[in-house]
Amino acid sequence: MEADIKLAFDILAFISVMVLIVLGLGVIASMMGIFNFAHGEFVLLGAYTLYLFQARALPLWLGIVTAPLVLALVGWVLERAVIRRFYANPIMAMLGTFAIGLIIREIIRGLLGGHYKAIPEPVSGVLSVAGLDFSVWRTVIICTTIVVMLASWMFLARTSTGLRIRGALENPMLARACGISTARLYALTFAFGSALAGLAGALIVPLYGLSADIGIRFLVQAFLSVMLGGVGTFEGPVLGASIVGGMAAGLPWVVSPVLADPLVFIIALAIVKLWPQGLIAKGSI
Amino acid sequence: MSKKTISLQQSHGVDRRRVLQGSAALTAAGWMGGLASGFLLSPKWAHADGPIKMGIATDITGPIAPGGNANWQVAQYAVEQINAGGGILGRPIELYLEDTASDPKIAVGNVRKLIQERKVDVVLGGITSAMRQAIKDPIVNRGRTLYIYPQLYEGQECTKYLFCTGPTPAQQCDELIPRLIKTLGKKRFAMPSANYVWPQLLNKYARKVIEANGGEVVFEEYYPLDQVEYSATVGKIRDGKIDCVFNTVIPPGLQPFCKQLYESGFQKNGGILSCVYFDENLLNYVPAQEMEGLYTCLDYFQALDDPFDKELQAGYAKKFPNTTFPFTAGSAATGMYRGVKFYEAAVKATGGKLAREEVAAAMDTGKLENGPGGPAEMVPGKMHCKMNMYVAVCRVEGAKTKYEVISKAPMVDPKEC
Amino acid sequence: MSAQQSVADESSAKRSGLRRPLRMLPLIELAVLCVIVAAPFALNGRPDLITLFTNIIILSLLAISFDLCWGFSGILSFGQALFFGVPGYVIALVGRDLGISQIWLTIPLAMLTGLLLAFVVALFLLVGRRPTPIFVALGTLTGSYAAERLVSGWQYVGAGNGLSAVKLLQMGSYEFVEGIEFYSLACVILLAVYLGARALVRSQFGLVLAGIRQNEERLAFLGYRVQIFKMLVFSLAGMISGVAGALYSYHQGFIGPGNMGPGLSTQAVIYCLLGGPGTLIGPVIGTAVIELLTYVLADIESIRQFWPVFLGFVLLGIILFQPNGIVGVAVSIRERIGSYGLRRKGAGRQG
Repeated sequence: MEADIKLAFDILAFISVMVLIVLGLGVIASMMGIFNFAHGEFVLLGAYTLYLFQARALPLWLGIVTAPLVLALVGWVLERAVIRRFYANPIMAMLGTFAIGLIIREIIRGLLGGHYKAIPEPVSGVLSVAGLDFSVWRTVIICTTIVVMLASWMFLARTSTGLRIRGALENPMLARACGISTARLYALTFAFGSALAGLAGALIVPLYGLSADIGIRFLVQAFLSVMLGGVGTFEGPVLGASIVGGMAAGLPWVVSPVLADPLVFIIALAIVKLWPQGLIAKGSI
Repeated sequence: MSKKTISLQQSHGVDRRRVLQGSAALTAAGWMGGLASGFLLSPKWAHADGPIKMGIATDITGPIAPGGNANWQVAQYAVEQINAGGGILGRPIELYLEDTASDPKIAVGNVRKLIQERKVDVVLGGITSAMRQAIKDPIVNRGRTLYIYPQLYEGQECTKYLFCTGPTPAQQCDELIPRLIKTLGKKRFAMPSANYVWPQLLNKYARKVIEANGGEVVFEEYYPLDQVEYSATVGKIRDGKIDCVFNTVIPPGLQPFCKQLYESGFQKNGGILSCVYFDENLLNYVPAQEMEGLYTCLDYFQALDDPFDKELQAGYAKKFPNTTFPFTAGSAATGMYRGVKFYEAAVKATGGKLAREEVAAAMDTGKLENGPGGPAEMVPGKMHCKMNMYVAVCRVEGAKTKYEVISKAPMVDPKEC
Repeated sequence: MSAQQSVADESSAKRSGLRRPLRMLPLIELAVLCVIVAAPFALNGRPDLITLFTNIIILSLLAISFDLCWGFSGILSFGQALFFGVPGYVIALVGRDLGISQIWLTIPLAMLTGLLLAFVVALFLLVGRRPTPIFVALGTLTGSYAAERLVSGWQYVGAGNGLSAVKLLQMGSYEFVEGIEFYSLACVILLAVYLGARALVRSQFGLVLAGIRQNEERLAFLGYRVQIFKMLVFSLAGMISGVAGALYSYHQGFIGPGNMGPGLSTQAVIYCLLGGPGTLIGPVIGTAVIELLTYVLADIESIRQFWPVFLGFVLLGIILFQPNGIVGVAVSIRERIGSYGLRRKGAGRQG
């Protein structure tokens, strides 16, 4: 019983990480129809922001709040300058965002000197509940993910901007005809997706350490999650992330970890092949 | 192609790191092929026969960077000492560096540069066994050059012209494991390991010693090098009531693993973490509190009270003040020092001849009176050397780790080849 | 009357070809050929440069294979290195376990491996309910990534260590070591592959590929079995990659999981994009430019630190403003089959 609870907690913790990372990617893919190959690097930027705060001995909590703001700005600027040229051609979008990701990654690699850095958690230690030990930081991540998801859902479902976004999602031409500025909405969405990535990076870097390659590590899994869950809805990528994250965290219990690693991808790819539009298919890529 | 020449007097570790990080950044990226960070250290005087060229191939960037940088600094220090004493039989040593970037794929190309372009007489380097396996062919076979490997490893490397100056499993496990079982009473072992050759062979040897001493290996698992999620492993450690973790996970997986193990309360509940490559340099990888109470067995610790060692450390600190890369045993720095000194002794013995057959024959019977941790002696025909081995436990003082030496075994036989 | 006459005169003058544009592509190809043939004579005495040039030749084969997929057929294969690394491993294993490294056996074996593997991947990714380009791109990327992870954990093939000390390539009793001989061999193979690919894309088959790249649906409606064509070109590209992988394995004496992963795959994309997709000579030039610059800049510290960032910017610039790459500067649109890159007209998604 005890072991099951701990197992559930561990899997939930990793799923939260995946959901945080994938949410931003899914929002951008649903809205603009492009897969942002630089998404991993946005996560990296968020992690790097937190590292800067730590290096200058500033409070880490501030860093965690600042990271999404920094990324929102970066995302906005990039969207205005570069990304909007790609909406007509998703393939070029992939290549273009890949180039952007490359630039960001190599700049950070140069700044880090090719080294790996450890960042302490703002709140470390263990939480003892009913005789079981839970990592405090992972609990924080789970709670933050739930809050972020609820807030995003509320925003989409209850606010007027959310309504406009949903309208533009369903039928951009008609939305434009109704006077909704899709260009501004796209910029907003991209900034929002980037901010989510930045938050994810800042939250996970105390767990996994900082190096220039942490972005790529999650990228393929993130893409698969979005394709698996389906583009066009809010719940789709979340579902996809849960499945992929759950598999990644749970399979090592069943098969050897070395085999579990590629198995996650193969299974995910097979599912996508069977349901090309994803499990929750409302939009299309 | 321009070569940058820096006189030995002005060299500082920090400058060098900054200079190298650019290209090595590329190599660490793993997607730019063939980029090298060639670096040259020229001596201050010349000799009619020309300098002796020594190549260092080590990881200046990438996950193993703290070890590689320590190696490079120690090599410079040792060579500087030799050159200050007039070189080897009057000939100075010229030092070349290539960054292997913790990536065997890139290392192969860069090492080839050492051999083909710089035409070095000997190569020292490689830290992980994966790296050694990758670069030994371009050096020893295709390059027909002598190769000295300075790091502790899994043994069974009996290639001609490849000398190993680091500890072998026999030297490390034969002292450490009986102490863990008999003196500390830890019987249930877990072996979380990185998935490559060193952990696999080391675990095989360690398992034999564990079982011979009455212990039990409850589970042995292998992970990809960059695995970051260890919740399943930590769960198994908890469920299996493991009291000693014999760790062979290496960076970059090491940091998350140590953190997750520590957070699960393993050490708090009396478990012991043991790892044969942990030394004072590990502070560059893992925060101090996660290393408290850790057991290791190496050929040298800074806490050793020995006049030669103290002099060595003082000289190193003078050359590299406030460096973040200390002169320690787990990062192959001691092996590097030994390697340079063995080479010096061998060339002196051949009377200045540099052909690898003659130098190798001389090195085969090499003896070092003084070295970090004590003297060292090559076992003839076995390509490995005897050295003192010390078991130590890690204590945390402030934010620094201090290793308390518990036992010493003199001139342990490597039992290889 | 006179206005009409002058217009008629003008058009007849045009028709008689007074303003025939120069065909640049064959000139460029000839120039590159001359450089390749002259190189060994110019470089005698610099074995490291010969090694570099050999690597360039081998990697440009990989870039050409990507170009066949993307530049000519519009299949964005982000995992081309999979068909480079796996045959490379097969070659190394055959040398290690069976002791065979005869060129007559191993190069065809590598070709077959690349071909079959690409065929299987194509079956999964390109066939069936019409897969979107995104799916193909991500699917190939995932395949390449998963293969790298799988091989990193497989002890038999050396796991993370890769396979080193690959048995030297042999022709009879002659062993190819790095140097002029290997360079010549690589050149011969490159020439054969290039001429073969060139003939292919300038044939009717090539026209169909161009049509697929431009508008797949239209071609399907015209009655072409689009999927069969895509599978064919993908498999052929895999075959070429296989040869490249085998040569690489023999030349470096080492093959590792990184040689089949996304790192090398995206490197191939960059080579092709920079050089000029859809021209076959473009990828060769792109590979040469990047590898040469990288090598030369290695010794200049101030530039070395910024080189990858600079390359990223160059790449972004190419994608945004000059999708036809370096070669596109000299070669006019008319010489290429079909157009390429971002469509200028029309903005926003098709609603």
